[in-house]
Parts: sequence; C-alpha cells; structure tokens
Amino acid sequence: MREQRRKDAVWRFLTYAFVITMVVVMMVPLYWMLVAATLPQEQFLQFPPRLLPGTAFLDNFAALQERLDFVRTIRNSVLIAVVYTLLSLVLCSMAGFAFAKYEFKFKEPIFYAILATLVLPIQLLVIPLFLLMAQLDWTNTFRAIILPWAANPIGIFLMRQNMKSIPDALLESARMDGATEFQIFYRIALPTMRSSLAALAIILFLFQWDLFLYPLVILETADMYTIPVGLAQLTGFQRIYYDQIMVAATLAIVPMVVLFLVLQKQFVSGILAGSLKE
Amino acid sequence: MSGINITELDKVYDSGTEKVVAVEDLSIEINHGEFLVLVGPSGCGKSTTLRCLAGLEDVTTGSIQFGDEDVTDHRASERDVAMVFQNYALYPHMTVRSNIGFGLKLSTKLTGDEIEQQVEDVAEMLGISELLNEKPKALSGGQQQRVALGRAIVREPSVFLMDEPLSNLDAKLRSDMRTELQELQADLDVTTVYVTHDQTEAMAMGDRIAVMDGGVLQQVGPPEEVYRSPVNQFVADFIGSPSINLLSADVEGETLRGPGGFTYEIDDTEPVAGHDRVRVGIRPEDITVVDSGQNTADVTVVEPMGNENFLYMEMDGHELTARVDPAIRPAEETQVSFDFREAALYLFDAKTGDALKTKTDTVDPAVVGTTED
Repeated sequence: MREQRRKDAVWRFLTYAFVITMVVVMMVPLYWMLVAATLPQEQFLQFPPRLLPGTAFLDNFAALQERLDFVRTIRNSVLIAVVYTLLSLVLCSMAGFAFAKYEFKFKEPIFYAILATLVLPIQLLVIPLFLLMAQLDWTNTFRAIILPWAANPIGIFLMRQNMKSIPDALLESARMDGATEFQIFYRIALPTMRSSLAALAIILFLFQWDLFLYPLVILETADMYTIPVGLAQLTGFQRIYYDQIMVAATLAIVPMVVLFLVLQKQFVSGILAGSLKE
Repeated sequence: MSGINITELDKVYDSGTEKVVAVEDLSIEINHGEFLVLVGPSGCGKSTTLRCLAGLEDVTTGSIQFGDEDVTDHRASERDVAMVFQNYALYPHMTVRSNIGFGLKLSTKLTGDEIEQQVEDVAEMLGISELLNEKPKALSGGQQQRVALGRAIVREPSVFLMDEPLSNLDAKLRSDMRTELQELQADLDVTTVYVTHDQTEAMAMGDRIAVMDGGVLQQVGPPEEVYRSPVNQFVADFIGSPSINLLSADVEGETLRGPGGFTYEIDDTEPVAGHDRVRVGIRPEDITVVDSGQNTADVTVVEPMGNENFLYMEMDGHELTARVDPAIRPAEETQVSFDFREAALYLFDAKTGDALKTKTDTVDPAVVGTTED
C-alpha cells in the first residue's frame, strides 16, 4: 500500500516535471519576444542578454508605424481573416452537411478527392495559383487571398464528422414540420453544431492569419500587406529591425488570443464532439 | 377526413450490389379515426411502412392514398401527417415552446400570436404548460414524450404516425402513457398508425393490429381475432404473452402423439385430414393442472405473479408454459399432469405453418363486439 503510494508520488512528480519543462520550453521564446519588444535594438543585441522588460515599447511601435503603417497592416489581416473565416464556415458546414446527411452519386469519391488535396503543400500551389490570379487580373487584391482557400478540406472533414452525429430523426422531424432542406440546415443542423463551428472558426482564422508565402507573391503594394508579409519587409539586406519585428509579432498574436479566449470553451468541446457517443 | 389506403406497396432497398426487400405487396385499408398498430419483430418492415406513409421513404411500387388523394409522390411536408419518433427528435437548441410551434411557423400563415395561443392550448391539454420555456435537455423522458406529442398534435394533421413512441419510457410510465395516448387519439379522432415490436402494447392499444414478418403482412384484424384466430403459426407465436406452447405431433387417426409421451385424442379429425404431422399450439392460460391424466411434465420454475402463477415445465426437452390460478403452486422439480380442452387447441400445418384449426371455445361476445364496430 505504502509502496504503491510512493510509486504514485514519484510518477506524479515526473509528470509535473515533464509538463513544466514543456511549458518553459514553449513560453521562453514568447517571453523573449515580449521583452525584446520593449527594448531598444542596442540593448536587445547586448550580451549577456537583458531578461527584464524595458520601456521602449512605444518608441519601437512609433518607428514600426512610420516604416510600415502597421495599423493598416493589422486592419488588412483582420479584414481578410474575418471575411475568409465567415465565408469558409458557410462553405465547409454546407459541404460537411451534404456529405454527412445526403446520398448522391460519387459521394465517396468526391469526398476522398477533397481530402486528397490535403497532401498538396501550399508551396506547390503558389505558382499555379499566381498564374491563375494573374490571368483573372486579380493580383494585389484581397479576393485573391481569400477565395482560393475558401473551401477548406480540413473544415469540410471536421464538419462532416460532426454533422454525422446529428440524429436523422431530428432532420426528418423538421422535414415533416414543413422545413425546406435549407431551413433544415440553417435552423436545425447549424445551431446544434455551435461548438464545432467555434472550433473550426479558430482553425480557419489561424490558417489565414499565418498565411505567408502566398500573400507575399500575390500582394504587390505595401498598402495591401498582411502582417506576415509586412514582417518580412523588416528584414533588410543591411539591417534587421529586431525591435520592430518583435513589436509587430507581439501585436500580431493579440487578435488570436482574444479569439481563442472568446471561443475557448466551445473550441475544446468542439474538438471532442462526435468522438464520444453520448 | 382521411382514411388511409395502402395498395400493393413494395419497398426495395437497392444498394447496387444487393437488393433488400423491406416491404412486399402490402395492402391495408385503414378507416378514418382508426387506431391501427403495426406489430412484428425487428426488421419485419413495420418501420419502413410507416416511413413510406410519412413520405420519408419513396415507395418502389404501389400507391398510398389519404382519403381520396393519392399521396404516393407527395413530399412529407405536403401530406398533412405528423410523426412521433422513438427518440422524440426534439430540437435540442429550442425551448419547448419553439419546438411545439416550429411546424406551425413553417407550414402555416398564422401570426405569431395565433401560434403562441395554439402552442399554449396544446401544452395545457398535455399538462406541460409550466415547461414551455425549458430546453429539452432539462426534461424527463416522460415530459419529452409529451412535448413530442404536442408537436404532432398542434398541427392538427389528418394522420398521426407513431414509431415506437413509448419504448424509451420505464414500465410504469409506459402503461400510463398508453392509456393517455388512446384517450387522446379518441378525443382528436385522427387516423393513427402506430408501430411497435411489443405485442402487449399492440393488443392493448389497437382498434386493429397488423402483424408483419419478413416484409410481408401476415394478418390484420381486431386484437382478439388475431389472438384467437391467427392465420399461421408465426402470428400465433408472436401474439400473446407468455407465448403459445408449440410442439410437433404425429397424427395417428384420432390421436396426436408428441414428444415426451404427449398424446391427445381429438374428436374432430377434419382439420388434420391428410396430414401425418402437425404443429400443436396451446395457449398457457388454456392448460389446466389436473390430479391425474395421460400427459405429464416436470415443473422447472414457478413464477408467482400475485394474481396468477406461471408454471414453466419441461416435457422431454420441450418447454411448456402454463398460466394457472395462484392457489396452484406445485414444488419445483416435481411432475404434474396437465390437460386442456379441444376447443382451445390450435393446429398448424407442419410444413407451411398455416392454421388448420384455431380456438373454437366461446368468449363473451360483448368483448369481441366492441372492437369490430
């Protein structure tokens, strides 16, 4: 008995030690980013490095704003990510609903074809997509950033899996109540999927927020830049503006943190939804 | 006003590689205001039939008429039917009020106030007025059941369809709801088709019951008729609880000889004429325990029910069940003699299972009369 208890204690200690180590490993770069954002460039590069925050955050931000108009860059990113997320939520949930609840010809092959697009890395798609956008005369536009990714295969897959858990009787009941197929989707299926939609919203927003290479190729003028593209402009041939990069990076995570905090509860249950039979 | 006429209905599921016949050549006429129970074991096609009536499944061939109108090709929403599902299918994100009013909102041109009024009337009728602002999750099974009923009733449909609506309730609540449902149906005077696998429920509730097996309708009739005069061995076996005792017997002139030394002399040999072998059926309540007789069996278990006793007996490996007076309680592992009247005897063709003879004893005609009107 005592032996068992000691084993449990050791095990718990090791578990905590491991978890804490992992937290530190993940938090240190984040902390370093926050510290660096508050230091002038010279102090940031000194050795040994300063570990406590300084007071130069606003100065750094002013320099960043002057060089890049960072407020506009954030606005661009937010606009693109929000429009993309809403559009993609609509498309993914409709496609997921169709794959989960309707029978139609070639349903399985189409679904697997959509899944198969997951194996294509973005890098591979950048050139063909750029050529396509150039032909459409869509380069240097937001729609060129948003539309190609709107039907997101991960989103379709996630919604299909979760929509499958909606009992058929619920939809049939609505059908007998006189609901049209779109009303069934909109008034019955979607509201029961609230947590899955929240989870998907975070995934989609994050995907678009982090997108770098593709917008770098498509967006030509500084007034159209998104945050990742803007950040890249701070790395020059002669000088890398670490202080400004760190300020920009710090500000860039704020919308993500806010979004996650708002949707956190639904996000966790949404990821789990459909995996357990209630 | 709407009766239902199902004519030569076939439903075949064709997955491309294999065909499954769910319902075969089904014809039933259901009168206006009638309570018809479709009963049968799992996979017998009763639920498929109901779903065809609801318009949730296309029929392969055949036709369905509500009143004078052919609704075979009508969509569910165009049929003026309401259905209560086994798991109630309440919309989880809506309050009871919205659940009940949803159909009215979509399929009628009533104003919000009129819908509200109707929802409240129905809620009051079902005794769920105080639950109107709750979500389904907060309700007990019985309350959810009432909401599901309310949702069906509020639309004043011409046909009610019910798919095992009581099977998720506990036994006590189930028998209460059974009575309530019957009263409700009689009050509303709406043609009702009710699906269940529970033959007790079928017997208790149906004006008529339709027994199905393997997609084929076996028999339709008032409960007593189906019980007393089953058309075949399947119906005799399925209807009645505990089940009818069935054993094979050789026909030797006027004598039936079965397993374990079972012998029975029959006066009327006409039903068995031309048969060497038949299946003998005796309802548990027709078996009487006697002091001495030519047939004996070993008592294995006695179940006292209070008002009666169930004797489970064995006759050379064949089980027999008798339903006897509570005063008769032989010790387990003892041998008893039993007898029954020829009028209570059922005989079935050993090969086809078709009935050769059914009960000819008399019952109070008034009882049968009420179900045949």
